[in-house]
Amino acid sequence: MEKFSFKDVLILFAGTIITIGIAWVLLTVTGFVPREIGKLFFEGAVVGQRNILNTLNIATPYILTSIATVVSFRVGMFNIGINGSMYIGGLYAAWAGYKFTSLGHIPHVSLCIAIAIITGSLWMLLPALLKVYAGVSEIISTIILNFVAVLFVSYMANGPFRADPIAPATPRILETAELKQYFPNSQFNSGFFIAVIIAFLTYFILKKTTFGYELRSGGDGLVGFYPSRYSSYLGIPSDRSAITGMLISGGLGGLAGGIEILGNARYFYQELLFNQGFDGILIAIVGKLEPIGGLIASLFWSALRNGGLFVDYKTEVSREIVVILLSILIFFVSAQKLVSSLERFKFVRKLDAFFTRKIK
Amino acid sequence: MEWLEIFDISLFRSLIRSATPIALIGFGAAMCSASGVLNIGLEGKMLNAAFVGIAASYYSGSALTGFIWGVSAGVLTAILFGFLSFNLGADEVLVGLAINIFSIAGTRYLLETLFKRRGFFSDPSIQGIDPITFDFLVDTRFEKIFSGYTPSIYLVFFLAIVLYLVYYKTRLGTAIRATGENPEAAEDAGINTLRMKWLTVVFSGVLAGIGGTFLSLENMTLFTEGMSAGKGYIGLVASSFGNNTPLGTFGASLFFGLGDAIGIRLQGVYELDSRLILMVPYALTVVVLILIGIRQRIRVRPVPIPEQ
Amino acid sequence: MTQKNIETAVEVKNITKSYPGVTANDSVDFKVLKGEIHALVGENGAGKSTLVKILYGIEQPDSGEIFINDKSVEINKVDKAIELGIGMVHQEFHLVPSFTAAENIGLGQEPRNSRGFIDWDKLNSEVSNIAKKYGLDVDPKLRMIDASVGIQQRTEILKTLYRNANILILDEPTAVLTPQETDELFEVIRSLVDEGKTVIFITHKLREVMEISDRVTVMRDGKVQGVSDTKNTSPEELAKLMVGREVFMQVEKEKAKPTEKVLEVKNLWVHDARGLLAVKNFSLDVHKGEIVGIAGVDGNGQTELVEALSGLRPTSKGEVIFDGKNIESFSPRKRRRAGLAHVPEDRANTGLNLKLDIWENLVGTSYFRSPLSKGGIISMKNVVDHSNNLREKFDIRTPGVFVRTGSLSGGNQQKVVIARELSEDPLLTIASQPTRGVDIGNIEAIHKQLIEIRDSGKAVLLVSAELDEVMSVADRVAVIYEGEIVEWVNPKDVDQQQMGLYMAGIKD
Repeated sequence: MEKFSFKDVLILFAGTIITIGIAWVLLTVTGFVPREIGKLFFEGAVVGQRNILNTLNIATPYILTSIATVVSFRVGMFNIGINGSMYIGGLYAAWAGYKFTSLGHIPHVSLCIAIAIITGSLWMLLPALLKVYAGVSEIISTIILNFVAVLFVSYMANGPFRADPIAPATPRILETAELKQYFPNSQFNSGFFIAVIIAFLTYFILKKTTFGYELRSGGDGLVGFYPSRYSSYLGIPSDRSAITGMLISGGLGGLAGGIEILGNARYFYQELLFNQGFDGILIAIVGKLEPIGGLIASLFWSALRNGGLFVDYKTEVSREIVVILLSILIFFVSAQKLVSSLERFKFVRKLDAFFTRKIK
Repeated sequence: MEWLEIFDISLFRSLIRSATPIALIGFGAAMCSASGVLNIGLEGKMLNAAFVGIAASYYSGSALTGFIWGVSAGVLTAILFGFLSFNLGADEVLVGLAINIFSIAGTRYLLETLFKRRGFFSDPSIQGIDPITFDFLVDTRFEKIFSGYTPSIYLVFFLAIVLYLVYYKTRLGTAIRATGENPEAAEDAGINTLRMKWLTVVFSGVLAGIGGTFLSLENMTLFTEGMSAGKGYIGLVASSFGNNTPLGTFGASLFFGLGDAIGIRLQGVYELDSRLILMVPYALTVVVLILIGIRQRIRVRPVPIPEQ
Repeated sequence: MTQKNIETAVEVKNITKSYPGVTANDSVDFKVLKGEIHALVGENGAGKSTLVKILYGIEQPDSGEIFINDKSVEINKVDKAIELGIGMVHQEFHLVPSFTAAENIGLGQEPRNSRGFIDWDKLNSEVSNIAKKYGLDVDPKLRMIDASVGIQQRTEILKTLYRNANILILDEPTAVLTPQETDELFEVIRSLVDEGKTVIFITHKLREVMEISDRVTVMRDGKVQGVSDTKNTSPEELAKLMVGREVFMQVEKEKAKPTEKVLEVKNLWVHDARGLLAVKNFSLDVHKGEIVGIAGVDGNGQTELVEALSGLRPTSKGEVIFDGKNIESFSPRKRRRAGLAHVPEDRANTGLNLKLDIWENLVGTSYFRSPLSKGGIISMKNVVDHSNNLREKFDIRTPGVFVRTGSLSGGNQQKVVIARELSEDPLLTIASQPTRGVDIGNIEAIHKQLIEIRDSGKAVLLVSAELDEVMSVADRVAVIYEGEIVEWVNPKDVDQQQMGLYMAGIKD
């Protein structure tokens, strides 16, 4: 993946204009007034305390899964099993949330979060080892694990962890394990702050520490580069970097699932549906595989999604229109040749050079 | 040995029905992989086909029209995949993911906008595709095994043989395999590798289209949100289980179908949870992948150093 | 030259082809007569490859005309070139590894039976027949994974013959061959010409030009410098045209003053990735203040030897003593810390991560050390200062150190590697093919640097397949053949012919 440059801004801008155009047509054809829908949409996304809080709350898992993607891609592993880690982390966070009864609030929440991270991360151990020691494509093995995760959590919620005789669900987590919700009108909770801290921490670790350098030395591109001869040549065990990267990635996925349970759902039930793990990959691409980019793109993404929910709630327009438009936007952003074709314009080259110097 | 009773004709029929969409996707995925394209967008292609198929059948009242439109939807989605990956240089895996997300949302959007429904859509005016019965088999003991399936099921068996022949015995087959293994060698031999990739991608679109309409017009006559339920991914897994060969993929699909069929049969009957059974094919796929990996490792056996 | 009785097989008029920033072919005229062996010579980047790519339909010229057998043609794709009877054997073989020789040879043109299926038996026997006719010994059923380099090359030649090629382009065909294999190849080429084929032979080895070709065209900087009959020219004259200056490259240096021993390799055995013995019972000493060269045709164990010395590949038997310590168990990093630097032959994947910024590649060996980082946290200021110093000192041409390394030219990329490796002030620098893919100006600079290291009392182990380079830069040279040292030579006392014999594993 090329560095963030002015071309990306242009493509994003052009893509947005085009998708807005498509939305306009879709809405008009289906008998709505685009202007009004647009207004509602904007209101739902960012106007008023409640809407803003909901947008931020939706953003939490996206931030974490997109950063999970950033980390795995940067070590040269194409991890698409983050969704599986989310399920596993969520399930075990719920388990820890009702199982440990005599803890104070902070120890209990911390324990639940730690367990979510650890289980989500262990879930990625197998594909990492398979890739490193048997050359099995991590793309295929993580796809498989996504299925196994869904089956496994639904089995657990139905069997060993089931509490309710009527509904297949775990017991509700104890109050001591809850992530705090600050406002009565929104599920916004302290998990958001964790996600933001993680984003900055990841940026710092990847860019400013020797550990991060070692992780990135084997990859740092869009396509899997593992195994990297460069790392081994420098004496950095690239096997270890690849495995560590996958574990961190899985751990962040587990954390995303854990926060969903501890902050929002409060118990794990069979029908619980996570798909942020997949969206996170696309968001990470929009964010140019940078942690802060992922954070900004997640906020953007969830603002649109929340706007869509609001429109859906207020009108007959389906909320899905937002996802359709977002995936179209992804088509634009990921089209490398389209992006590089902009270089034929002189002003683009000049502005590119200008920005490169500014960013340093 | 009470549990052995589940292995009867109806389990066999249910196995075949479960295996069909997996095999259809698997064949497409195998051909794509053989030509060097990792196609994870088959899920979306299948879903689009399932929806468009049922919508067309609903509006036209004709199963054939539904089928044709459904397959066209699969092909169009495949063309979108090819255009983005080959012409605009986007990463195949990303495009595949984006198409899957796009299709889930797109079909849901159309379901709500066109039919004002959420969750699922079925209507008496939807014409499904009827099973084929062979008159000469009626009242023979083969009737229950071979007769009364919908067309796609017969198609899968036919395809397994045809693809085997194409893969190993035709110029097209060697051209596809050469494209995946060493594109430069293929180009040298005057093979247009881009055309080969387009061919396999469009072919996978046709099969995903048939697979989609199988779900919504043959197996059942209704559409539910996300009804492909990961079959696009399972097909991909089946093709890697079968090392991207037609017969290997077919065998793997039957195996996944068996897991499915046993899972459905056991639901609520025995203490063993059906979900654990459903995990078995995946676990075995992992084992197969490990074995393939280890075999490649063991091949390297250092020659001894001669004594002085 | 209008000889009416001799037809031209290929004629190219006024071909120009530019890539962004380079004119690879500048008004090139090129003419090959029917039934001749025509050598096309020039250094890396002279434009030979571009010219033949145009002939083979891989690239399209910006302007100019092509005539095949005196007919004006437009070769807009490979199919068209094949149709015109042009065949090409690339330097890097284009073979499908899991296919057999026959499957590779017949690819795209397999004979079919009446039902449209490929007739494998017929293909196998056709391949055998052609192989026999031209004296190319290849088993049609051998899978390419299991075939030796020589057999792979013969398979490539058979591929073109199977397609009825009359004009064969061989791109640097001897680069991967031993001298014997080269002789066998020359036999094949001669029998091809006897059968009426025309051969275009691309090389930069002048000895081969003199031995095999009828006529020769020399290119430099995208232009044709001269054409002549081989018998009317001499290697010295060709070399002059090729390099554009007096030849017999002499690097200016004083006599070496070797002091104490820094590296001692004792009876070393190393296995390669396929489990075969690549280095056999290898012993060598390197002293401070000298450059020891290892000469030999590519693929004779040099890669594995260097990997074993730098810690990238386990040694199977024997000892490696560096600066008095047995370093067998040392990781690459620990070896560096002990004073052993390594400029690897594979710059793009091993020496650099092209996706990283220049500064990130420059600090690859030192990022974990103060002042570049403290307590695991990188000090950006110190890192940037350090990088900028190296950039100035080693004259790396870049707009800045925050630029993707992949955007640099080959020569500048190599300077990044060398800058990083020398920044540690190593006792011994192992330089493996240090000038491969580097332009002339930078080659000189790199040679000078190696000699400077020597003169400052440090040691260099130079591994190179460029005979000229080893012979002019090194003070002592070991010739390696099939993983063993054939002979130690003093570059001043040995002639090219003798070296050729040693490189073929022939000792007196």
